[in-house]
Amino acid sequence: MKQWICVICGFIYEEANGMPDHGIAPGTRFEDLPEDWQCPECGSPKSAFEIYVG
Amino acid sequence: MSAIAAAPGRIEISGKIFNPFSQAFIREPRATWQMLLRDYPIAYHRDLSMWVVNSHELCGEMLKNNVFSPNFMEWEHAPPAKADADKNDYDRTFDKSLFTVSTRDHLKLRKLTMPAFSKPVMGKIDGKIRDLVLECFDAIGDADTFDVYEAIATKLPVRSIARMVGVPTNMEGFFHDFAVGVVLATRPNLSPKERDAAVATTLPGLAFFKEQIAQRRALPHPGDDFLGSLVGASDNGESLDDYEILSIILALITAGSDTATDLHTYAMLGLLKHPEQYAKLQQRPELMENAIIELLRHGSMGKFPFFRFATQDTEFAGQQIKKGQCILINLSAAWHDPAKYPDWDRLDIERRLDGNLVFGAGAHFCIGTYLVRVQGGLMISEFMKRYPKATLVNGDGQIDYDYKHHNARRITRLMVQTNKGA
Repeated sequence: MKQWICVICGFIYEEANGMPDHGIAPGTRFEDLPEDWQCPECGSPKSAFEIYVG
Repeated sequence: MSAIAAAPGRIEISGKIFNPFSQAFIREPRATWQMLLRDYPIAYHRDLSMWVVNSHELCGEMLKNNVFSPNFMEWEHAPPAKADADKNDYDRTFDKSLFTVSTRDHLKLRKLTMPAFSKPVMGKIDGKIRDLVLECFDAIGDADTFDVYEAIATKLPVRSIARMVGVPTNMEGFFHDFAVGVVLATRPNLSPKERDAAVATTLPGLAFFKEQIAQRRALPHPGDDFLGSLVGASDNGESLDDYEILSIILALITAGSDTATDLHTYAMLGLLKHPEQYAKLQQRPELMENAIIELLRHGSMGKFPFFRFATQDTEFAGQQIKKGQCILINLSAAWHDPAKYPDWDRLDIERRLDGNLVFGAGAHFCIGTYLVRVQGGLMISEFMKRYPKATLVNGDGQIDYDYKHHNARRITRLMVQTNKGA
């Protein structure tokens, strides 16, 4: 499972955790998030995310 | 929305409807914000010569729309661009700033600087500024009463930023003047003379940091601190030049020093005015991050929050905005929009804040957002630990304001009763 970081605000999406509060089940791959999904922190589009190696 | 339906064409307001400079507004803005939200989600302000956008929905849309740029040089009344040979360090830094560069270069800057600002790195800042927080509280000691503004808000933000960027403590005054000049220099509501004066105050500070950068570049390894991570940043062969690094330092100062002054006063005002919320946060410190965002939302310290400039003629929310016009994105009002927050006037540190605009939205989302949370969290935690039964003196904290502050409803006195022996 990978981690993805929003290069605008630094929010990190962890595929293993998902975002159950936002209806995204644990284990949901970043690629499988809807195309119009936005960063929950800053509202940036998916294209603002990159793989994050912590 | 009745004003839009009843009056096709440009909706206009004047200083009689919205005067952000009036003392009455600065003391108690909420009725004005509610009137603007109800009757003027967007309107052209004749006296300020700018658009004012108030509703949460429209503010969010505008922040995410790249037609509306934060680049002040897009403004119809911007000073003429200088010839390259006439540019000073401020001009050259400004040319590379996050608010000035193209969308593509902006993304490059954010990518290269994100490691220095990300949540994991900011979490480590905790250990680096903790002693500064303790120092402020140690100086208060066992006083029965103290002024949050004087004892904490004027000291902690500027000292924290100075520590982050490696400015020695004995240069605090120098650094403070630099920070205020940096924040002032791009405000559209300044005369050319005032702007020139503000720019002049930034030049010694820029020279100081240029020297610091040069010293780091001369080292075999630039260091792991904030400045070192900027000097050493690279991504696919790209790195930051001196003026790009200076522009990031300026962004940090803008985000973290003058503006953060209000974080401390408004956070404590909000908590002590709502003792049940103060007690809840003491019992449930895990709510801290949410509490800080909610305190910022509820306190809404902005007088003149954010500006954008139209880069082309555009229809927006039924209004015709002309290229070069200035737009005030009135986030202070938006954070009290009943359409987004039906109970907008209630402070609730457990509030779900999904989709909030407290740190803006879109490409220019506040770069210092995690720093704010770390610094605010450290201060509030220590405050609660030392003064768990604190109250506002006379129930109102004997608040005073700096009515002439350039963009904030700046509180300059907030008296607290410590109730240490209670």
